[in-house]
Amino acid sequence: MTTQTRRLQRMLLMVPFMTGEDGASIPELCRRFGVSKDELMADLNVLWMCGLPDYTPGRLIDFRVEGDRVFVSMADYFARPFRLTREEALTIFVAGRALITAGAFPRKGPLSTALEKVAGALSEGEVESASAIASRIDVEMESYSSKWRTIIEKGLKEKRALLIEYYSYSRDEVSEREVDPYTLLWSHGHWYLLAYCHDAKDDRLFRLDRIKSVELGAARVEGDREEFRVPALVGEYRPGRKAHQVRLRFAGVEGRRLAEKWPAAKVTEHDDGSITVELRTRNLSWLSNYLLRFGDRVKIESPKELRRLVSGKASEMLEMYS
Amino acid sequence: MDKIERLINLTAVLLDKQSPLTFDDLKSTVYRDETGGAVALKKMFERDKEELRDMGIEVRTVPLSDDRTGYTIEGDAYYLPHLELEPSEKLALAMVSRLFLGSGTPFAGPAQAALCKIAFDEGDQGDGLAEIHWVSPPREREALAAIMEGLAKRKFITFSYRALDRSEPSEREVEPYGLFSKNGYWYLVGQCHLRGELRCFKLDRIVSDVKVSRTSPRSPDFEVPEDFEIESSASWEWPPPKDLEDVEARVVFAPRLAFAFSSGRSKVVSSKRHKDGSLEATYEVADPEQFVDWVLEFGPDARVVSPPELTGMVAERLQGALARAEAGK
Repeated sequence: MTTQTRRLQRMLLMVPFMTGEDGASIPELCRRFGVSKDELMADLNVLWMCGLPDYTPGRLIDFRVEGDRVFVSMADYFARPFRLTREEALTIFVAGRALITAGAFPRKGPLSTALEKVAGALSEGEVESASAIASRIDVEMESYSSKWRTIIEKGLKEKRALLIEYYSYSRDEVSEREVDPYTLLWSHGHWYLLAYCHDAKDDRLFRLDRIKSVELGAARVEGDREEFRVPALVGEYRPGRKAHQVRLRFAGVEGRRLAEKWPAAKVTEHDDGSITVELRTRNLSWLSNYLLRFGDRVKIESPKELRRLVSGKASEMLEMYS
Repeated sequence: MDKIERLINLTAVLLDKQSPLTFDDLKSTVYRDETGGAVALKKMFERDKEELRDMGIEVRTVPLSDDRTGYTIEGDAYYLPHLELEPSEKLALAMVSRLFLGSGTPFAGPAQAALCKIAFDEGDQGDGLAEIHWVSPPREREALAAIMEGLAKRKFITFSYRALDRSEPSEREVEPYGLFSKNGYWYLVGQCHLRGELRCFKLDRIVSDVKVSRTSPRSPDFEVPEDFEIESSASWEWPPPKDLEDVEARVVFAPRLAFAFSSGRSKVVSSKRHKDGSLEATYEVADPEQFVDWVLEFGPDARVVSPPELTGMVAERLQGALARAEAGK
């Protein structure tokens, strides 16, 4: 779909919101349609040139701005939005299926009846094709059966701060933090809580299965977060200057599989089939644990510190097993 | 006139008029400022209709009594019907439409439009709702969009693919049947023309743009076999589970990380807390390799107690890692 089609679609969807007696709030329109005020005004200026034959001023779409509200008139034929398209229905079906699989909704319940009503609003051919395509797309979402689920959801719904004990995998330590929860995210095959961390003074992602305990805090979460920036997840992480430069040499393809997990890693292939993977990380602790699984199939070329850590851990653990 | 204005005018007039309009009617109204002869204008009109159809707006052709052709957009087909949702259904639908907002998938745009449309009649459903979002790694966004298009329109797609065990990529032409995500990665399932069989492609091993066939865009290039099921493709495992019966494994966790005992993929059979705060858990293990990988990630904070096959595997890995690290000194 071209940018122009997308814009046309947006304009046709926007007009109905502005044709009511009370008009519409400009900031709310901008938020809802993800546009700036300038873009909105540009759209209105195009609409203002459109209308019905004979295209005399009395037949053209008109608008006026009062304070932060906008009123559109002479557009009765656009007073209701265009019905759901096949893509929109498809999206709702795929998402609905994922949420049911994840256990967020029961198989028979409000979601399934709502989906039936959506299907009822489509033409017969479209229901068939949207549900046929939806059945061929499987979006993985595990059920989040964390025992903290109820309390985290309570924090999210009531906009209350949470006090969490969190295990940081990269630093290999458990710490207590006060966080303002925003939303739950499913990404990379794991559940995360996206929250503002008062200690880090920034948004952070907390993997649900690394949360050791949660308590509901007293403080209210300030403000509404309409948009959030998803902080770098594992893999998109860009370490700073202080990061260690790590060079590993793998005998075979497992090196390439590892590199797929960290797209920032640099992979060099050698004629003998072995693979060098270079990556940067701020903490070596997690990596030393992670490398144990490869046994003798990986050679740590640098840094020395990582080699020391791995040999220290391996011998400590071998004693546990002897 | 700007194309966007022309398309709005065309939609407006066809929607507003109760009776169908002929092309002559349109020529003297919507197309009156356009330059070109009758043939060129008719072509322009045909393209405009196509464009509207791409957006889902159907311009219907109606034969008129005097052998002329009329065009109309029917209100019933255009306007959003009232969904008449119960309050609990509204909440459910709002949560569903939000799932893919900002997800980096081709679902993000339609999700936002759907949310707006539902909000038009039902109002915003924000409060009392735990938000859940689905986020995809950004590097796969463009490939996903193209694959979705091929999947929906049933068109061949082509790309350059590098299998994990090959050093050189090969060009593939594929009939996209299905798409799934697993452990955080996207996979395409389809009939591969190069290999002549059903194949599964991991999206991050696609090393070129994905191109959708543009020949005869209105007609599908293939049929999806009736017995195709995405679930059976998605239940495929790597590494393939060994030919072993499920083994029962016991692991002891140090107090510090004991809380995470159920974070793995193996089923927990039982668990008990010891006085010193450590925890002993029993698992049903289908894939010993993967299980050992997981336990080793805990470093010294987890120890496999039984069975001997697994402790043996762990010890072997540790000895290997130790020998390799010592040799490098």
